[in-house]
Amino acid sequence: MLFYLAKRAISLLLVLLGLAILIFVIARIVPGDPARIALGPLATATQVFEMRQEMGLDDPFVVQLWNYLYGLAHGDLGKSFLTSRPVMHDIMQALPATFELVLFTIVLQVILSIPLGVVAAIYRDTWVDNVSRIVSLIGVVTPGFVLAIILQLVASYKLQFFPVTGRIDQGLGYSAAHSGLLLVDSIIDQRWDVFGDALRHILLPSIALAAGGIGQVMRITRSSMIEVSGRDFIEASRANGIPERVVQFRYMLRIACIAPLTILGLEFASLIGNAFVVEFVFSWPGIASYGVRTILQKDLNAVIGVVLVSGVFFIIANLTIDTILGFIDPRNRLREDSK
Amino acid sequence: MSTPILEVSSLNLSFTTYGRRAQVLHDVSLSVSKGERVALIGQSGSGKTVTMRAIIGTLPMPPANIESGSISFEGRDLLNLTKPERNRIKGTGISIVLQDPLLSFNPVLTIGRQMDDILRYAEIRLGQRQSASQRKALILKTLNKVQLPQGVQIFDAYPMMLSGGMRQRVLIAMALLNKPRLLIADEPGTALDVTTQKEILNLLNKLVKDEELSLLLITHDLGVVREISDRVYVMERGHIVEANTNEEIFSNPVHPYTQKLMACVPALYGERVREVKNDQPGRPKIQVAAITKDFTQRSGFFKRTWSSVRAVNSVNLEIESGDVFGIAGESGSGKTTLAKMLLGLHLPSSGQIKIDGRPINDFSDAKEFRKLIQIVYQNPGSSLNPKRTVTQQLAVPLTFTNHSKASIMTRTAELLEMVDLPPSYASMYPHELSGGQKQRVAIARALSVNPKILVLDEPTSALDVLIQNTVIDLLLKLRQELDLTYVFISHDLSLMRNFCNRVAIMFRGEICEQGLTRDVFANPKHAYTRALLSSIPVISEREERLKPKITTAERQAVLASSTALT
Repeated sequence: MLFYLAKRAISLLLVLLGLAILIFVIARIVPGDPARIALGPLATATQVFEMRQEMGLDDPFVVQLWNYLYGLAHGDLGKSFLTSRPVMHDIMQALPATFELVLFTIVLQVILSIPLGVVAAIYRDTWVDNVSRIVSLIGVVTPGFVLAIILQLVASYKLQFFPVTGRIDQGLGYSAAHSGLLLVDSIIDQRWDVFGDALRHILLPSIALAAGGIGQVMRITRSSMIEVSGRDFIEASRANGIPERVVQFRYMLRIACIAPLTILGLEFASLIGNAFVVEFVFSWPGIASYGVRTILQKDLNAVIGVVLVSGVFFIIANLTIDTILGFIDPRNRLREDSK
Repeated sequence: MSTPILEVSSLNLSFTTYGRRAQVLHDVSLSVSKGERVALIGQSGSGKTVTMRAIIGTLPMPPANIESGSISFEGRDLLNLTKPERNRIKGTGISIVLQDPLLSFNPVLTIGRQMDDILRYAEIRLGQRQSASQRKALILKTLNKVQLPQGVQIFDAYPMMLSGGMRQRVLIAMALLNKPRLLIADEPGTALDVTTQKEILNLLNKLVKDEELSLLLITHDLGVVREISDRVYVMERGHIVEANTNEEIFSNPVHPYTQKLMACVPALYGERVREVKNDQPGRPKIQVAAITKDFTQRSGFFKRTWSSVRAVNSVNLEIESGDVFGIAGESGSGKTTLAKMLLGLHLPSSGQIKIDGRPINDFSDAKEFRKLIQIVYQNPGSSLNPKRTVTQQLAVPLTFTNHSKASIMTRTAELLEMVDLPPSYASMYPHELSGGQKQRVAIARALSVNPKILVLDEPTSALDVLIQNTVIDLLLKLRQELDLTYVFISHDLSLMRNFCNRVAIMFRGEICEQGLTRDVFANPKHAYTRALLSSIPVISEREERLKPKITTAERQAVLASSTALT
């Protein structure tokens, strides 16, 4: 098992290295002089020249890449042209908000989609199944930002159930000091008012973000449950007198959840992409708003940083899924270990 | 015999799908007495599995619907029981051994876990709890009963880690865990090699006696039925057409369907054997000289460590034009690897294969070689593309060999006629055809470019005996008409006896015996060949006597080194 995980971890690190190099190359190829953009249209040629010197833009490409990777290995992503602060600092400030949103969304997806899929499969072709299939289809076909705006209009603006934007009511005067995640820190500090407020803030953006994935994963869970239910060993377990609920949840779901979990891992990538839009709609102070700003301003170091952070997210998510799958399905790790 | 433990009387059962009702069981009545071994035989689709599932209670209703009749077990009518009462009988009163020893296990749970669950939930239902260690002790004891003394390792193993024979034993152990009174076995051992199958049948016979079980055996293999049953029911299209004792059925079948079934079983010995001859011997076609195939596996972190498996070890063969050359062997014996080398799909690690005197790597291109040798696969259900019509399937090799559109049309019509399919089948899709018809299409496809050699990889093992015979007859007819040479790969020695003029027996990558079929069967020299022949279930006392005799010790010696048990 350890060998299996080590192997996965190393291959994922290689992916990250490849991503770092690729995004660096792309950032250097795109037209436009970063120094000029950073200084604005009024700067003189000398100023631009000095800025280029300072940023190392006139060094040979390989040297730039090496310096960049060297810095990266030491946790240094360079300086933002825009804010003149280290990119790492900026990202670290914005990251917890996004991390909280994405994590909450994933939890929401897991606890809603898999059970719904199971229920739909068990009560297959009944009204339960049909309703959940239609709802999931709507979830899949509605883009996240459309849903975001609809939710905002209906649930926040008209019905006033939820706050329209933001992450927390500033009036509470709370700052998350432990992990940066409001929901977690407020529990640690036993500030239930903060917890409730943060929950009300996070619910709409994460529903908007989760909807597509929920529909998709639900449908996959349903179809793989149905597929598994036709296998011989399920009939064998029933004939051996194992109670129906145990057959469904231990014998069937354990195998049927492999496909949806794999999809959830992939879903993670699109989640960060979609978070850019949803965060924007809800003015969520996360990395997406930061990312959008830096892209529009062509703040190269910051763009690279944001992309890399999303990459790390994606890799951690996949490693987690691989670990879970390794536990659930012995075939994965046995195959790796026996080689 | 005493009172019946299981009695099915006038059972009528139908399926309703998409508003259409189809009756699958008509007035089915059968009974099993205490300690009796009863077999239910019939082709696939005859309704025997449905009967079994109705008895155990795993038929989904709807779409199934029991219209009339009753199933009583130990005097209680199962159909009138409440659900919890019915469930209480599962595993404890009636238990089953399903056909496929791999598919019957949950692949992601350990054997121990699966066995423990069966035991634990049965105890919960009966209201008597044991501790986990007591249950484990009982599981190990049961595994020992099915001759698996290494129970502790098996307990922690996953199903994929066991061999086929071991899995089948574990399945039987699972069925025995809760001390059932009636054991239902669905095609036990048919997915295994004959020598292993024989062991499993002996084990079942022994268990029925030792544990005072009653056995209901569901199978299409008449040889198995003869060895392991006291009474036989014959089922055809949902009707029980004949019921009698074992001896009567086999010596004096009354119903035409039973007679037909019996006649279709290829005979191993005796006057029913069909001798196949090569009319013009002495024309060498394929020469195989000392070929060896090693499969190397790279493993380790940077794939640097190597391990190698020798699948085929210095094999020499000479196949003549017009031969039906059988290569027999159990799974893992290397027969498929050998066939793939003949087809040029694997390159031998050493040695040479010559066809018509030319080494096969001398052929200028794939086209020329493919026109010479073709293959018919085992399972026509998966070797035909489900999204293409018959014509389109047949056109693939023709397009590949540069036939024009018009000539493809005439050729496909010819091919269909050749394999006795009506021309109207040209536009059908594989799912519209029966198994035998699909295999005919596969044969036609192999013949489309006029090859001289056909490799037949168990072409009938996925078919029922009745259909098997028609396909074999077709192959023999085509051999005459087109002067073909067949290389026939199979583990079915009875069929080989009636289809091949020469055979080679493979054992662990080597050919342990080869010669004219008649000689090899009449006078097997190698211990392994004798073990194989003696394990084949036959359907008459005469054949039984003619089979080579082998002592238990000899059999164990062969089995111990056989790949089937590792």
